[in-house]
Amino acid sequence: MKISQTSTLSLSQNLRLSLLRTQNELSAAQVEVTTGRLADRGLALGARSSLSVTLARDLERVRNITDTNALAKSRLAATQNALGDLGSRAQGFLSTLTAGVGGDAGPSVLGGDARATLEMMTAVLNSALNGEYLFAGINTDVEPLTPWKPGSPAKTGFDAAFVARFGFPPGDPAASGISKADMQGFLASVEPQFLGAGWADWSAASDAPIQSRIALNETAPTSVSANADPIRKLAMAASTVSELMAGALGPGAREAVVERAVALVSEAIAGLGQLQSDAGISQKRVSEATLRLEAQADLFERHIGKLEGVDPYEASTRVSQLMDQIEMSYTLTARLGELSLMRFLR
Amino acid sequence: MSLASALNIAQSALGSVSRQTSIVSRNVTNAGDSDYHRREAALVSTAPGLRATEIRRAADELLLRRNLSATSAWSGQSALRDGLERLSLNIHGVDGGASVATALGKLSEALQTFASSPSNRTLATNAVEAGRAAVGALNTGAQAVQTIRAEADAGISTAVGELRGLLEEFGRANDEVVLGAKVGRDVSDALDQRDAALKKIAALVPVSTFTRAGNDAVIMTADGATLFETVPREISFAPTAVFTPGAAGNAVLIDGVPLKGGPNASGQIAGLIELRDGAALGVERQLDEMARLMIAAFRETDQTGSGLPDRAGLFGWSGGPALPPAGTLQPGLAGAIRLNAAFDAGAGGDPLRLRDGGANGAAYNANPAGNASFSALLIRYGDRMEEPVAVDARAGLAGPVSASAYSAAAIGWFEAARARATDGAATTEALMVRTGEALSNATGVNVDHEMSLLLDLEHAYEASARLIKAVDEMLAALLAMVR
Repeated sequence: MKISQTSTLSLSQNLRLSLLRTQNELSAAQVEVTTGRLADRGLALGARSSLSVTLARDLERVRNITDTNALAKSRLAATQNALGDLGSRAQGFLSTLTAGVGGDAGPSVLGGDARATLEMMTAVLNSALNGEYLFAGINTDVEPLTPWKPGSPAKTGFDAAFVARFGFPPGDPAASGISKADMQGFLASVEPQFLGAGWADWSAASDAPIQSRIALNETAPTSVSANADPIRKLAMAASTVSELMAGALGPGAREAVVERAVALVSEAIAGLGQLQSDAGISQKRVSEATLRLEAQADLFERHIGKLEGVDPYEASTRVSQLMDQIEMSYTLTARLGELSLMRFLR
Repeated sequence: MSLASALNIAQSALGSVSRQTSIVSRNVTNAGDSDYHRREAALVSTAPGLRATEIRRAADELLLRRNLSATSAWSGQSALRDGLERLSLNIHGVDGGASVATALGKLSEALQTFASSPSNRTLATNAVEAGRAAVGALNTGAQAVQTIRAEADAGISTAVGELRGLLEEFGRANDEVVLGAKVGRDVSDALDQRDAALKKIAALVPVSTFTRAGNDAVIMTADGATLFETVPREISFAPTAVFTPGAAGNAVLIDGVPLKGGPNASGQIAGLIELRDGAALGVERQLDEMARLMIAAFRETDQTGSGLPDRAGLFGWSGGPALPPAGTLQPGLAGAIRLNAAFDAGAGGDPLRLRDGGANGAAYNANPAGNASFSALLIRYGDRMEEPVAVDARAGLAGPVSASAYSAAAIGWFEAARARATDGAATTEALMVRTGEALSNATGVNVDHEMSLLLDLEHAYEASARLIKAVDEMLAALLAMVR
């Protein structure tokens, strides 16, 4: 008679194999409980691993850009402040000039205010942040503005132009004979020294502003150059007034200087406002990009959590289940070991 | 009928019982041997009352065959899985920490940080070092692939040697079976040996067997090549000492027929062939493509408008300073890619070249004025890393795709292969264990069963002895009467 039987070998081997399998599962489940993520991501996700890698990397990039945006933001804020300071200084200078036109302020007052404006301009435009000059464009390791002082290339050029035009320096007594029309002509002729190519004598800044990546695929200008038109106009007004008011010019010529200066400063004030609003737009772009990046980072994190995360309750339930199983398996092994016909054959 | 014949029968019963007892004791001794097949004593009547004992060996051809094919599938998939796991650890590190994808991510971050303050030399050095790490990841990856391929090749060589030895063993057992069948000897032990050898052979190559007259077995591979017929057939394999990047290894020829790999490789040798020429070669090609994409992303372009060709920038290679041809796989590039010394402060270069360009001469300098916050080139490098370009389809990934996306896709490709092999190993393992258990149940020994048989035999022996004693007494009584 033949009946189906179980071999002693398979009986003992089975227990051993299933115990090993359960222990393997237990170690994986333990990792999942403690980390809250899949024990072997690559194995569980398979071809979708590339998605997990891309998400993790993009998350890091987004966070990195958020960090670098902080730098652009502080640069723009400092620029904004400096432009504001320049604007109010220009405003003050304009009121002094207007007083000068009405005859309420004398030449020495005008000259003094112009010199103060020049100094203030130089100080503001040469301010630095994090070792980089704010208004230097991209040439940030060189001080953008050379101060207007005796011997500076810009002043030397201006003095030479004056002498070339009239045959004597502004301080010469003969200067009192310069007519209003002559002075207007002279001012028009030196304009290129400020508003044209001659500005290079003043400024080492580059025209190009600093470009920064403010989002994964967006760049924005994040600085203002000292070569901007309003700054040149303000510089011209301040330097001509400071130079020519100190000289021995007659009332007609002075009038010409002050009138031209009033026109220039008014344009400069309007222009500075424009620069401020441009910087403001950049500021807004940076802060909006940062907000967007933060939202993106949240989204990426959620995706990663969905992709790689495990439910900790489910995982810990699994651990306790597996532990029960292993315990049962131990008990069974011990009991089955005792279960033998041999024990009863003595 | 006489008392003498009763005595005879009782004696033969004693002999039969002792033979059966010896079989039981053999069964019990070998209860722990998975290759042992249970013997059964079958009683055959020869003359009235007289019995001879014949030994029968429990066997189940069908279950054995199923177990053999499951064993083949499992050993193939597990060899592949183990190899891929080692490769994964060597090229991706724990949790992908050492992968090229991670290194590229870090490089892109370092570039962005540098671009935000391009005047900062420390950040420049930092970005160049991130580039060095990316080169290191590629070089290590290429090296790891070479090592794995060489290991797999050595494994194939060992397995082929083992296979030859097993076939010899199979042949000896088979000869014994054929001879024993002719002269009517008990061939159970030879059959056990033959089946044991066959199980080991099946772990190396998938087999199918059939038996001819006289229980003479023939082994074929699953592809139909003859492994054994009367004598072992020729198995040839020439190991490769050093692998040329991109080239497949030598084939294993069984009776002149090459053994195939494939993702569903069955048998250890086929699994190793798939590891050597399939997965590892694919990984190698993808690393080469990544190296090519990186060199191209950091190329320097002519700034003077005089039409000079693009040159390799931050990343150089053995064929530099020209760029590797676009869209074409360049075997061995991942091992040949280097950090350009012109950028390496340690080698006398200047990290700020990353900002300005000009590693290939003044015509390639994008920032001749030397402006400290010039960020356009850095931003362009960052953009190029994300810009889709054409890739070679031979590496297994379709384009156009960017350098950074390619490195991530390569991980996906690899993990898919690993998950497939692991899954295959798990399912075939379950099948192997199940069929092995069924086979063991059908042919193995149950000690309790043998013990109960032993009880029966004890009783039979006692009864026969009692009978002899009774006949003895009867004869004594008879003789006493005569006296």
